[in-house]
Amino acid sequence: MVVKKTIVVENLKYRYPNTSKLALDSISFSVDEGQFVGIVGKNLAGKSTLCEALVGLVPHFYKGAYGGKVVVDGVEVLNSSIGEMARHIGIVFQNPFTQITAAKLTVYEEIAFGLENLGMDRVEMVKRIDYVLDLLGLYDFKDRNPFELSGGQMQRLAIAGIIAMKPTVIVLDEPTSQLDPQGSEEVFKAVQRLSKEGVTIVMVEQKMEKIAQYADKVMLISEGKMIDFDSPQKLFSREDLENFGVEPPVFTTIAKKLNVKDETTGLYPVTIDEARRLFSL
Amino acid sequence: MARALSLYVETNTFLQKLDPMVKLLYILLSILLPFLILPYRVVGLTFILISCLLLLYGKVFKKVLPLLGFSFLILISIVIIQGLFMQSNRTPAFTIDGLTFYKEGLLYAWTLCIRVLDVLLAFALLVLTTRPSDLIQSLVKRGLSPRFGYVLSSALQIIPQMMSEVGSIMDAQRSRGLETEGNLWTRLKAFVPLIGPVVMSSLLETRERAMALEVRGFSAIGKKTFLFDTEMTLLDKILEWVLGILLLISIIVRIVWL
Repeated sequence: MVVKKTIVVENLKYRYPNTSKLALDSISFSVDEGQFVGIVGKNLAGKSTLCEALVGLVPHFYKGAYGGKVVVDGVEVLNSSIGEMARHIGIVFQNPFTQITAAKLTVYEEIAFGLENLGMDRVEMVKRIDYVLDLLGLYDFKDRNPFELSGGQMQRLAIAGIIAMKPTVIVLDEPTSQLDPQGSEEVFKAVQRLSKEGVTIVMVEQKMEKIAQYADKVMLISEGKMIDFDSPQKLFSREDLENFGVEPPVFTTIAKKLNVKDETTGLYPVTIDEARRLFSL
Repeated sequence: MARALSLYVETNTFLQKLDPMVKLLYILLSILLPFLILPYRVVGLTFILISCLLLLYGKVFKKVLPLLGFSFLILISIVIIQGLFMQSNRTPAFTIDGLTFYKEGLLYAWTLCIRVLDVLLAFALLVLTTRPSDLIQSLVKRGLSPRFGYVLSSALQIIPQMMSEVGSIMDAQRSRGLETEGNLWTRLKAFVPLIGPVVMSSLLETRERAMALEVRGFSAIGKKTFLFDTEMTLLDKILEWVLGILLLISIIVRIVWL
C-alpha cells in the first residue's frame, strides 16, 4: 500500500529580513500521512522557523529570502496564502494567551472563529464544535470566557480551534513550554487522541520523554540544518546528541551510562516501558 | 488565570439586542450634531442626557463611572487651562489665590467638556451593550472589511489586557527594587523602566495574535459565515432610518444656514 506523503520539503532555505545568516539551510524531508513527528534542537536552532515555514507564515508573514519547496497536503506553500493554507494545516504556538482571538466572548464562539472565516455552513459548524469540545474535554467550559480559563485549558482551546477546521496536519510549537505539569499533561493527552484519530502531527518539544513516548520519527535540527531524521530509538541513541544541545530522555541517559542496549537492535531504550524491559533482563 | 478582556455586559435588555449599526449611527449623530445644530451646548447636553438614560436602562451605568472618573481629570485640566490662559480671555469671572479665571475661557472649556462627555458616553453605550462578534458580523454584512471590525472590537477589549500587563510588569520591577510609590518625581522616574517592557510586550503579543488569526483563516478569500446569524428586526430598521434621516436633515439645515 502506498502511503500518502502529507508534507514534502525540498531543499528549503530561508533567511529573515535584515539578517545575514540562514535560519533554515537546505532542509529536505517528507512526512507520511498520520505520522507523529517530533522536532528537537537547542534554542534558535530553527525549529520554530521550520514550523512557520510549514504553515506559510514563512515567507508570507515574515517576508525575507526564501528558496526551495514546501508542499503540504498537495499544496505548495509559496503559491498559496496563509488563509488558504489554513484549510490544510494548523499551528498551535507557545503562548496560549495570544492565541485567543479577543473577538469572542465564549469558548464555543472562539472555536467557531476559524470556521466562520472559512465560510462553513452553520449546521456543520455546530457539529464540529461539539465534536472538538468533547475530544478535548472542554464541554464543561463552553460558555466560559476564553480568558478565564487556566493555561492548560486555554492551550487546549487553541488546539480545539485548529482541530475544528479539520486540517490534515497540525503543527505544535512547544505548546507546553508555558504550562505547569498538569496543563502539559492535559495537552499531551489531547495530542495523543488526535494522533490516534489519524491526524499528522509535527511537534516541537523540549520534554524528550514525551517525544520519545509519542513520536514515530524525530528530527534533530542545529543551526538551521537538519542533522538527523529517524526513529526516536535511533536518534536518541546517537552518542553525539549532547553536542547539539539536546539531552536524551532520562531512561536513555541512564542506559547509556550503564551501557544497557537492546541486543537485537543495538539501541538504547527511550521510553519507560523499553527501559523496564531491558533493565529487568 | 487571565482577566476577561471584554467590556460587554450581558443584561438582556433591548439595548443588547439592538443592531450594532444603530448604535454606531447614534455615535455618529452624537458626535456631529453638537457641531451642526445650534445651540451646540444644548444639543450636546441633550445627547449626554439621552446616553445616561440609555445606560441606566441598559443596567450598565455603573461600568461607566470609572471612565467618567478618569475623564474628570482631563476635563478639570481643560477648565483650568482654558479658564486661565485662552488667548481671547477678556472678562474676569472670579479669582482664586490671585489666579483670575475668565468667562470666555470657561465657556469654551464648558463646550469642550460637553463634547468629550458626549462622545465618551455614546461610545460607552456601544462597547458595554454590544458583543464584539456581533459588531464584526454587522460590519461585514454591510460590506466592510472584517479587519476593520476586528480592530474596532479588539482595540476596545485590549484595555483591560494592557492594565493587567502593566500590573504584572510593575510587580516584576518592584520586586527588583524599583520605587513606584511616593512623590511625583519618584513616580515619573518609575515610569521610564515600566514603559519599555509594556510597549515591547504589547507589540510582541500583537504580532503573535496576528499570526494566530492568520492561521485560522482570517484572511481567507471567500464569503464568511456566522455562528449566530442574526437578522435586523423591524425596530432596528426603523431606528436606523430615523437616525439616518435625522443626520441628513441636520447636514442640510447646516448647509442652508451657512
